[in-house]
Amino acid sequence: MLLPAAPLAAADEPTVVSAGPEAVGVTIYRAPDRSADTAMNLGWLEGYALITETRTVDIPAGAATIRFEGVAGGMLPESALVTGLPSGVREKNLDADLLSARNLYARAYGRPVILRRHSGKTGKGTVTEERAVIRSGPDGAAIVQTKSGFEIADCGRGIADTLVYTELPEGLSAKPTLSVRTTSTAPQRATIRLSYLAWGFDWQTNYVVRLNPASGKADMMAWVTLASSDPTSFVDAGAAVVGGKLDREDAREYGGRQDGDLVLHCYLRPRVPPPAVVPPPPPAPAPVMMAMESADIIVTAQRRSNTMQAAPVTVIEEGLGDLKLYRVPMPTTVAANAQKQVAMHDLKGVKFKTWHTADLWDSTDENATIKLRTRNRKEDGLGIALPGGPVAVFEPLGADLLLVGQGGMRDYAVDEDVEVMLGVSPQVHVEVTETASARDWTDYEAKVTNANPWPVTFEGTMRLNDGEKLERPSTRLTRKFGRPTWTISVPANGEATLRYRVTDPD
Amino acid sequence: MTTGLCGRFFWLGLAAALPAPLAAQSASGSAQGDVSLTIYNNDLALVQDKRQITLQKGTNRQEFPDVSAVIRPETVTLASGDAGIVEQNFDYDLLSPEKLLDKAVGQTVTLVRTNPATGVETREQATVLANNGGTIVRIGDRIEVLESYGARILFSGLPPSLRARPTLSITLNAANAGPRPVTLSYLSSGFGWKADYVALFDEAAGKMDLQGWITLTNNTGTSFPNARVLLVAGSPGQDNNQYGGGRRAIQRQIDFVPGTQSANRERLGDFYVYPIAARTTVANAQQKQVSFLDVAGAPASKGYYFRNGWLGASDEAQSFATVLKLSTAKDSGVGDALPAGTVRVYMRDARGQPQFIGEKGIDHTPMGSTLSLKTGEAFDVKVQPTVQSREKITADEWERTGRWRVTVNGKTDDVTVERQKVYWRTTMTYKVTNARPSPVKVELVQAGLDNWWSDTRVPAESVKGTQRTLDERAWTLDVPANGETTLTVQFDTRY
Repeated sequence: MLLPAAPLAAADEPTVVSAGPEAVGVTIYRAPDRSADTAMNLGWLEGYALITETRTVDIPAGAATIRFEGVAGGMLPESALVTGLPSGVREKNLDADLLSARNLYARAYGRPVILRRHSGKTGKGTVTEERAVIRSGPDGAAIVQTKSGFEIADCGRGIADTLVYTELPEGLSAKPTLSVRTTSTAPQRATIRLSYLAWGFDWQTNYVVRLNPASGKADMMAWVTLASSDPTSFVDAGAAVVGGKLDREDAREYGGRQDGDLVLHCYLRPRVPPPAVVPPPPPAPAPVMMAMESADIIVTAQRRSNTMQAAPVTVIEEGLGDLKLYRVPMPTTVAANAQKQVAMHDLKGVKFKTWHTADLWDSTDENATIKLRTRNRKEDGLGIALPGGPVAVFEPLGADLLLVGQGGMRDYAVDEDVEVMLGVSPQVHVEVTETASARDWTDYEAKVTNANPWPVTFEGTMRLNDGEKLERPSTRLTRKFGRPTWTISVPANGEATLRYRVTDPD
Repeated sequence: MTTGLCGRFFWLGLAAALPAPLAAQSASGSAQGDVSLTIYNNDLALVQDKRQITLQKGTNRQEFPDVSAVIRPETVTLASGDAGIVEQNFDYDLLSPEKLLDKAVGQTVTLVRTNPATGVETREQATVLANNGGTIVRIGDRIEVLESYGARILFSGLPPSLRARPTLSITLNAANAGPRPVTLSYLSSGFGWKADYVALFDEAAGKMDLQGWITLTNNTGTSFPNARVLLVAGSPGQDNNQYGGGRRAIQRQIDFVPGTQSANRERLGDFYVYPIAARTTVANAQQKQVSFLDVAGAPASKGYYFRNGWLGASDEAQSFATVLKLSTAKDSGVGDALPAGTVRVYMRDARGQPQFIGEKGIDHTPMGSTLSLKTGEAFDVKVQPTVQSREKITADEWERTGRWRVTVNGKTDDVTVERQKVYWRTTMTYKVTNARPSPVKVELVQAGLDNWWSDTRVPAESVKGTQRTLDERAWTLDVPANGETTLTVQFDTRY
């Protein structure tokens, strides 16, 4: 294995390498700023995970350095905790001075390297090697000293130069590596636990609702979709996800990470500027997104059909402080750059009611918004904590199931009113018109039209300015969230009207 | 012009057969001596480097390699005993091909051309005439502009003022020849440190284990092996006017009571000092953590907090913030001053495994302080604030709006103009719901009650509240398990 000696270990301090964990737990947290109904972007996951690893290491007597390999690539080293060492941890180090082309060059300053020169035509020509000493820093071009003088490498017609290094500089590692220094009185085998937070994970709940318009009841399937964009796979992990919102200090960028590139260029300017290279047009992102979204739908739809055969394995809920923890009951592999789904709930007979709603301003002229409503309680077929996520709603059409709406819902605790916004109805329209006005009052008429061949339930919420009052409504209004609210059943292919007056005290 | 190799340009003669490594120090070992690092919070460190140098009698030019690459050269001082300092130089004219050609103007170089058909190399001497957007050379009696890939240029030496990396050099006047210790001190950026805390909270027991780690970063481009390290919890001077992290941290905290106790730690002025016990290597691009605090079973409690803005209402219930309350006092808490950093809070899940439940930044916190750290939002404890009504009322009181002295027909009178006070009466309800299987106590704050009027009244409230400030009124509510409680408050305001 091409690994230089641990950069920190003093010459007399042995280094123990822990290659990988025996057991691992992965607890995934949602992206802090992604709203509940926004789909995950698999190419850019902004959630994180707590990784808890159990490792066995043989510790020699005296001082030693233990290097941890096979940790998550997105590890936040300041969150790393190591427990189980006989006398604790003296210090923890994350070494990020990487073995890169640039570092290799910089560390070879003033030291002999081999300059391999290919001269002549490509494919033919000759290759010569000679010793040279690097005389310049890694920014720009390589100035080397050869036996014929000082020259700039890779700069001249018909030649191509390569620098060949003869040894590996000390203290560079292949990837950022966590190590701890510890002391032990006697050699022993220790079982230690390493835990840390890592970026590049996310999860969400996906709800699939099958509405039966005849009975007004629905089957609701909830899936936990978890995803990892980390380069490390966690095999047979105890996986869990945490619902609710946690505060995070953004620590994703830890500064000063140097660029490993080494770009050496020639110094003589060409007399004729080279033709401008037109970059190929970037691939349009929109189709990719579309493909991903539709892929999601296919996945959930397929899963749904699976559920007809047998009850799926579901995650187990437990309280974690003021958050909800959902544990996958069997060991599972959280693979690198992969997404996984496990059932969360399989609910039958959820009483959903469809509402058409609108906010009534003084000049509203719009289509009504379709919402599914229920209450999160046992009587309505629910009564469980519902973490937010996208919702897909299907209705039977003959023998088939068709997608009738897609929306999202936020986190709902038990006994809250649940509302899923599905979209805008092209069939139900609302219009508010002014019918009369004087200095301190205005009369309005609100009209809802329904082009559906069935009746719909409409809810209009009056939006008044500060100090304004609603008077003389033509039908009795209720109050909801402190606002006058008009609830009416609009007949099939019919309409409903409300007249009211708004007075302004000024 | 074939004058051969002469002139100041060619100070660095060619090695006879093969160039040997010319670096003054062996490339694996560092030229540093006994190094102490004092690292501050604000991207600043004091480096003290005790080196052994050998001087000749008289004037010596001494280079100091392996100093921090982001040294602030104007802060360099050298304690050199009997050798007086003549001048200090920090050379950052870096060796690059362009500079090399610039400095070669007027000098002779060797051009190597390869015949593309035969591969035969020919060499000729040329004089560089100018390097202005193109290199113009004289070869014999011809003048030519060198084109990219036209020819390779061989230089016979490197100009002495160009360096591969920035170099500190000091010219000293020594009274006696011989080796002697000198101490080089300078400030450098590229260093930083903060604290990282791990709090394992046991809600049932009302206790918390707190570990503190110092996290030290080195992005100076230079490694400091086997150094003594001292960390100062403070930001001396430098960035008073900047958007300081500390100030922000205090504001983000819900309820911070600064303490008045002194921790049993070393001090430097107003700052606490955290020495690292043993010598350690601070490598480049390294993040190092050393433990400085380990407290078990400190008392801690959980609370719920929600602050509503003026006329804040929503159609959706809002989560209460989950707040971890702890004290840094001597006898009832952590018993130490806490340097600024991030507190990560963990709780054990049903299987006893610690799980992360949120994190919060803190400022430098004196001992004896009370901290309330918001770690997240409660899934099951929510509030729905609603503006139930808002109407204009006229109070039975009058305010004086002006007073004039009026003289009519030689008779002077005082006239006072008064106007009835107009208030807005706002009725708010706050429906607090608790879906947890245990009762909770929550703290609800209504803000925006002052608005520079200093004339806000609360004529009715269903639970007695406390006026915290002119702007904020707070209520403590008990919410039963799996139940709800509603607070109704009337506010009379002038706006």
